[in-house]
Amino acid sequence: MKSGLSGVGAAKVAAVILALAILAVLPLLTSSNYLLGVAVSGLLMTVAAAALNLVYGFAGLLSFAQLGFWGVGAYCSAITVMDAGGSFWAGVLVAAGVNGLLGLAFGYPILRTRTHAFVVATITFALLCNLVARDWISVTRGPLGIPGLPPPRLLGYEIEGSARFFYIVLGYAVLALCFLYVLETSRIGLTLKAIKQNETLAQSQGISPLPYKLAVFTIAAVITGMAGAVFAFHLRVVDPLIFDFYYMQTFLIIVIIGGTGSFWGVVLAGAAMVVLPEALRFSNDLRMVIYGAILVAAMLLMPRGVAGWIEDRRLASLRANLR
Amino acid sequence: MTIDLAYVLELVLNGLMLGLLYALIAVGLALIFGVLQIVNFAHGELMMLGSFTMALLLPLFGLSYWPSLAMAVIVTALVGAAFYQFFLSRVEQTEFERSILITLGLSMVLLYGAQYIFSATPRMVDTSWGFEGIEIGAIRMTWTRITGGAVALVAFAALYVLLKWTQLGRAMRAVAQNREAALMVGLKPRVVSRNAVTLAAGLCGLAGGALAPIQLVQPGMGQAVIFKAFALVIIAGLGNIPGAIATSLALGMLESWIGGFYDMVWQEGSVFVIMIVAIILRPEGLFQARGMRVG
Repeated sequence: MKSGLSGVGAAKVAAVILALAILAVLPLLTSSNYLLGVAVSGLLMTVAAAALNLVYGFAGLLSFAQLGFWGVGAYCSAITVMDAGGSFWAGVLVAAGVNGLLGLAFGYPILRTRTHAFVVATITFALLCNLVARDWISVTRGPLGIPGLPPPRLLGYEIEGSARFFYIVLGYAVLALCFLYVLETSRIGLTLKAIKQNETLAQSQGISPLPYKLAVFTIAAVITGMAGAVFAFHLRVVDPLIFDFYYMQTFLIIVIIGGTGSFWGVVLAGAAMVVLPEALRFSNDLRMVIYGAILVAAMLLMPRGVAGWIEDRRLASLRANLR
Repeated sequence: MTIDLAYVLELVLNGLMLGLLYALIAVGLALIFGVLQIVNFAHGELMMLGSFTMALLLPLFGLSYWPSLAMAVIVTALVGAAFYQFFLSRVEQTEFERSILITLGLSMVLLYGAQYIFSATPRMVDTSWGFEGIEIGAIRMTWTRITGGAVALVAFAALYVLLKWTQLGRAMRAVAQNREAALMVGLKPRVVSRNAVTLAAGLCGLAGGALAPIQLVQPGMGQAVIFKAFALVIIAGLGNIPGAIATSLALGMLESWIGGFYDMVWQEGSVFVIMIVAIILRPEGLFQARGMRVG
């Protein structure tokens, strides 16, 4: 907080205000539904990536279960609206509740395993969600999915059209990112970093890792699930493809390129990674090939992401100045 | 409920087939983990590569089975060797996440690359045997299935001999048990690692090639199998080869049985439920006490 009034801090605040202003007037600048759609999926994927960053970047848990939570959230909201007759808002809340319980119930057993088994177990969880969505036809309607989700309503007023829906997404994204920012810059964020860097040392300082890990895992599950729930209403249809590994790979790429454990790095990478390829209009397959190649190259050359690389540069120049 | 004997036998045979093919994949995963301490995410894509090599080469060889299968193994093994040489050899033992993300990136390149070039449409693969097979009573099995199972069995026997009695295999076991000690007695961990990855990739190619005439060949086929193989090696204990084989066979049978008598949901879900129970009971895996050492 000391740097709040310094030059870098002020520049950061100005940049955030500018970005928010641009996003706020975006629907006025363009009437293209396509562009607004790109912005909507970009915002939601950035939120999901930021949640992954909380789990992976801060707590050091490489969790692929985010994909499961994302899809479960989408199904929860869709089923709430279509079968239980609830509203869009109720659907998002149901998604949050179900994912919270799921995060606790699944997190507790698997957080006891070592890293390797943890990663693999989370992957299997995501796969299981996909299979259940495909095969539990009486609830999820199987491979055909749940089409024709109605637009959300607010105070009896239908939020029709991409522009209005965009504001809902923007509101959710800002709320979720603010929450994550506060959490990550708080004492809890520091504690998480301590656990990630040296769990034994953290334990010797009186920190019990499991409750922190479980809390973070669950929080990330809730945030990702809500993002998925909103995303379902962007697509207007939920089918097992919501569990496509493509989403997980995109979240991961955003976190890796942005730099694990760096809040702003991930947010910027989210914007860049979703908007750039859309602007260049690659086919989806070719885009994923490029993502894969970027992932490999980043891990070989820049394992700590762009933010980590800049941080290393900064430390190096500090050391050089000291000499 | 009356149980038809022929039906039960068919379920057992199908389960055995499934189990043997899972086992080929799971053994490769366990081998790579044992020697390199890397969970190979591109493993399923290596299998897919084997299937595609088989599918593309069969017409060139006049639909004959064996040369195409041999080529599938060789191509996949070479790709595995290249993987090690260019990517995996640069990862340190302790950099677990880095190794996962690199292999994940490679799997993305292979999977979406295949989708880009060949499209996601599933293709049927025909061999010179067509749908011929043998019938014993009410049970019918095609030659491609029987050969697939037999090839897997022969591969396991060969693998056992290799690991147990040859210098190549002993070196792999030594590095898996204690890397430093292996280095001290003059083994080169890099060479041994490369051999292990090549061997595991070859097994993948074999499984992929044998599967090609049995299943539809499509770019996503590797992902469907690999996740199950992951669960299998977790249940068995990472890096444990005999455990992986035993678990694969048991699970193949179980799946086939559950699929025969209950809903699809339970068939797919059973692997996962068993994995969670296994993790709660024994976080280090069911077979951890013996076999290849981990960590």
